Amino acid sequence: MTASTFRQDLRVVASTFEVTLKMIAVDSFVLFGILIQPLIIAVLAIWMLTPKDPTQAIFVVIGSGMTGLWSTLLFIGGNSITRERWTGTLESLVAQPTPLAYIVFGKNLASVLQSLLSMLVSYALAALLFRLELHIAQPGAFAVSLVLTVFSFVCFGLIIAPVFLLNPAVQQWQNAMEFPVYILAGFLFPIALLPGWTTPFSYLLAPYWAARALHATSSGSATPGELALCWGMMGMFGILYLVFSRFLLRVILRKARADATLGLE
Amino acid sequence: MLRSLSLNMRLFLEGAFLSYVALFRWLRPMTYLASKIVMPLASILFFTFLGTYATSASNASFYVIGNAIQIASVSGIYGVTMSIGGDRWEGTLVYLFGTPANRLAMFVGRAFFHIFDGILGVWIGLGWGVILLGLDLSHTDLSALLLTILATTFSTSGLGLLLGCVSLVSLDTMFINNLAYFSLLIFSGANVPIASLPTWLAAISWGLPLTRGIAASRELIAGASLAQVAPLIIGEAAVGAVYVFLGYALFRWFEFQARRRGTLEAF
Repeated sequence: MTASTFRQDLRVVASTFEVTLKMIAVDSFVLFGILIQPLIIAVLAIWMLTPKDPTQAIFVVIGSGMTGLWSTLLFIGGNSITRERWTGTLESLVAQPTPLAYIVFGKNLASVLQSLLSMLVSYALAALLFRLELHIAQPGAFAVSLVLTVFSFVCFGLIIAPVFLLNPAVQQWQNAMEFPVYILAGFLFPIALLPGWTTPFSYLLAPYWAARALHATSSGSATPGELALCWGMMGMFGILYLVFSRFLLRVILRKARADATLGLE
Repeated sequence: MLRSLSLNMRLFLEGAFLSYVALFRWLRPMTYLASKIVMPLASILFFTFLGTYATSASNASFYVIGNAIQIASVSGIYGVTMSIGGDRWEGTLVYLFGTPANRLAMFVGRAFFHIFDGILGVWIGLGWGVILLGLDLSHTDLSALLLTILATTFSTSGLGLLLGCVSLVSLDTMFINNLAYFSLLIFSGANVPIASLPTWLAAISWGLPLTRGIAASRELIAGASLAQVAPLIIGEAAVGAVYVFLGYALFRWFEFQARRRGTLEAF
């Protein structure tokens, strides 16, 4: 790959990002997942958690925001390739020179960044409507954690999208994948409440390390060791997802071209 | 008159069966398993763990029962609205409105099998509660609980019929369905006691399906008799009847407006 090719591919990422951002900004299904659903979960969690301990408010804001991030990634990022199939544009995308992975990356980046609105909306709800004290104890570390969260989520989407393309039967489980990640990643309650045998599954999820880092930095309980572990895991999973997604996309697209099933469900 | 009655009954049952069979999304076994068995289980687990974290482990049954009964809204809202909205999306609305068939039988029949599908979903949810979360049904009058669940699925299907009519004229069907489904998580008492809501919000709750059904189910599982919860069951069924009436009225009004304006399948 030459420098000019890399610049061209980056331009494709930027264009995909811009178009996706504009498309999903007016999609009512997306807006529900980014704004309304996290808001409802935040209201529920605030009513359930804060009467006992008002300092839980920031925990609720972060956790409900994370639910919006995951739901958006699952439904929007996960369908980023299959949506092109539904609209009949997948064949054109595959045939053009830029690797499909760059396009999926741009789409996922747009949807994940837009879904950060979930956290803002939950923050506004808690602060303005419920008049709860909200304070991020370690803002610098929180910001770094947020950047790594976006990175790891976008890369996770690079795995989900081709898997849904490969096997429509997996996509039928989309609805069933939402709440299990809320549970295993510890968005709104610690995973210590779960049976011990589920812990390894939590550790294998990038959203778990993201939630752990964001909760720790917002509450002020993050030690340097804890931060290093969470950031390291998010970075590692992000790179692993990136590497594996290249292999996955190559295999899937080769198979689809050989079987002439690229445009078929 | 007898002939008319038997014709309308046949229309009701055949229309109900065909509209349920036509809902192909849920007739794929994997989709049914994912949407009607695994997803409700995950939802029950999430809210039960959240609730016990917020209060204490001894309150697990409160959340298990609430969220298990709330599963009725999956069939009642999504199933029924898709059965009605499907006519618009598949282009069969014009044939539907072109027939002289009894509109009430045709309309209400759409919800018939979803009521029983909802009962099955709720029993599966309660089953998960017994197996995984220690729900104790040993003091429960099961026939009274079944009656309560029937009233609850009827009332949520009534809401589904009303929302289904909205789907005939709106492009944001899933937005409306999702909003209704998730709002019921707050207002039905599934996760937050109605008594702890502000007064004006509690008033809204009592006007919605599920609220009385969940309250009655909790009392029955705690050992109450049918007579003690009968007012709640009757109230739940009455709420359902109101929603069915509103949905039917809206359905007839839409038909009249669409004929008048020539906008039957306009988008």
